[in-house]
Amino acid sequence: MKRYLKLSLIVIAGVLAVGLYSSLYTLEEGIQAVVVQFGRPVGETVTEAGLHLKLPFVQHVLRFEKRLLFWDGDPNQIPTKGREFIWVDTTARWRISDAKKFLENVASEEGAQSRLNDILDSVVRDQVSSSELVELVRSATWVIPDEDLLRNVPKEQEEELKREIARGREEITRTILAEAQKIIPQYGIELVDVRIKRLDYVESVREKVYERMISERKRIAAQFRSEGEGLSAEILGTMEKELSNIRSTAYREVQKIHGEADADATQIYGYAYNRDPEFYAFLRTLESYEESANPNSVMLLTTKSDFYQYLKSATPPTLEPSILTKDASVPILSTTP
Amino acid sequence: MSELKEPTRNGQDGLNDAFETIGRSFKNLRKRTVLMLIAAFALLVTLWTSWFTVQPEETGVVQRFGKVIYSAEPGLHFKIPCGIDTVRLVPTARVLKEEFGFRTLSSVPGQKTQYQPGDEHTDESLMLTGDLNVIDVQWIIQYRIEDPVRYLFKVRDTPKTIRDTAEAVMRRAVGNRLGSDVLTTGRVAVSSEAKEEIQQILTSYEIGVHLVTVELQDVTPPDTVKPAFNEVNESRQDKEQTINMAQEQANREIPKARGVATQSISEAEGYALERVNRARGEAARFESILTEYLEAPQVTRRRLYLEAMTGMLAGINGLYIVDEDQQAMVPWLSMKSNTQPAVGGNRLP
Repeated sequence: MKRYLKLSLIVIAGVLAVGLYSSLYTLEEGIQAVVVQFGRPVGETVTEAGLHLKLPFVQHVLRFEKRLLFWDGDPNQIPTKGREFIWVDTTARWRISDAKKFLENVASEEGAQSRLNDILDSVVRDQVSSSELVELVRSATWVIPDEDLLRNVPKEQEEELKREIARGREEITRTILAEAQKIIPQYGIELVDVRIKRLDYVESVREKVYERMISERKRIAAQFRSEGEGLSAEILGTMEKELSNIRSTAYREVQKIHGEADADATQIYGYAYNRDPEFYAFLRTLESYEESANPNSVMLLTTKSDFYQYLKSATPPTLEPSILTKDASVPILSTTP
Repeated sequence: MSELKEPTRNGQDGLNDAFETIGRSFKNLRKRTVLMLIAAFALLVTLWTSWFTVQPEETGVVQRFGKVIYSAEPGLHFKIPCGIDTVRLVPTARVLKEEFGFRTLSSVPGQKTQYQPGDEHTDESLMLTGDLNVIDVQWIIQYRIEDPVRYLFKVRDTPKTIRDTAEAVMRRAVGNRLGSDVLTTGRVAVSSEAKEEIQQILTSYEIGVHLVTVELQDVTPPDTVKPAFNEVNESRQDKEQTINMAQEQANREIPKARGVATQSISEAEGYALERVNRARGEAARFESILTEYLEAPQVTRRRLYLEAMTGMLAGINGLYIVDEDQQAMVPWLSMKSNTQPAVGGNRLP
């Protein structure tokens, strides 16, 4: 008898202990819980961390994240409005805002992930396809580059760089967020934000872009070289001009000095010789006879000449200035070639 | 233990008795020891889990039944044992780093830092610029956990969130600029703009993190395009070189031409001096002769004539003196003339 009492006491204590254990539960910080009774949620969602009570055995606790969670989209090849195919990699932050709704609609994080995939992929696709690539890359705060930077850019690209960005990446992501937020709350999910993490050309386009970049660089390089050659030609031209100037100025100066000297000399000669032009002519002619004597020349003189007048007779001729008359004695100079 | 040594007295019964006694007491002993051991172990565990230390660079977050009750500063602390209070240690004083586009393998003090070779992280660093070119931007962010409670309980996968945000923001900042700008002057602006924006977003997530810095590391064109970029630099050097060579030629020739010009002018001046001096000299000579000539014109005239003729006739090849009355001398003369040997074309100056 005593033994049974002891046994039942032990059983009761055990049941009490299990019951107590089953009616208490702890909730971690950052976790929220839904109490479920026979599969049906009861009461409010428990969001406060700590020790909590519930009905033992009939109720059990389902825990959900209260923290901010991430959604990482699978990169998608999406054509833009300009028909360029690009890889778009988006990422989003979300949290379980209504745990009961979440439990009813998607049950688990995996379920939520797949719903988010469906919704966000389609919204992102819509927005990217209706935007130009530049709108996706640039922001509304795009500053039109100044002339200094535009100088290195081809003309056809310049127009495009000068374009005002109406929407820009932020606006597009805001639209994506707003569009997605219209649908998502029914799952008990709050979408906090969506961001375009990566944007990249597809492989074939990237090669083309690299080729364009290379040709652009080559163009700039050619421009630099040509500028160098142009400036070099300019310098050489200026040099030639300067040289011509220096040389011709010098020539002018030389000619002027020569001319002045010649004039001075002429004046001096003229003044002196003008005192007796006939005597000058006589003297100068005699000098030139001597100067122009050629060792090959043969001279023919008549005996009537002054020099040989005594050859035939010693009588003094009438002393007339026959030397100066033309027919008296004309020295004939013949030079053999 | 004494029972074991007790000698056997009453044969079989006594022996059985003794065994029973030994068995019972041994059972009692074992039970007590096990209980004692369990109690000791429990006590040990209780004591062991009732204190914790927080290292200088850490903050401890103490939770009771999962609820945060306080954060513990560095030092020794006590808590309620047996899993009622739990502690998470968060390195709040340490500056944490995230790398984008590269990974540091090891950085041992006193040794060269080693980076992971290859380009498997280029998907993080390749980005589009505002002029739709591609650029390779490697960068790092450094951050500190400012609020450990928020850091632990506001966002799950905190490092992943920080990385995603940093990448999205950096790409936006680079996409809003020209590639050439990011490569050169825009680096500082990009990093400060990115830092501000990343911090703003992280604050809105209540992530409890304070950004220390965002630093751009290597910013380069993609590998395929690099040679073309180098070519631009080379062409810039070529340009300078061509200009310098032209300048060199100019510098070499112009001063020389100036010198030559000065030389020819000086020579002209010399010529002028000579010309005038000669003129003066010759004029003076003429005037002197004239003065003397006027004293005795007839005689002087004849003397001068005869002297000149003598001098001239001494220097010529042949002389024919012909009588006034002699006729037809020309054929004879030309015959003689033809026999003359040709002696150079010596002309008089």
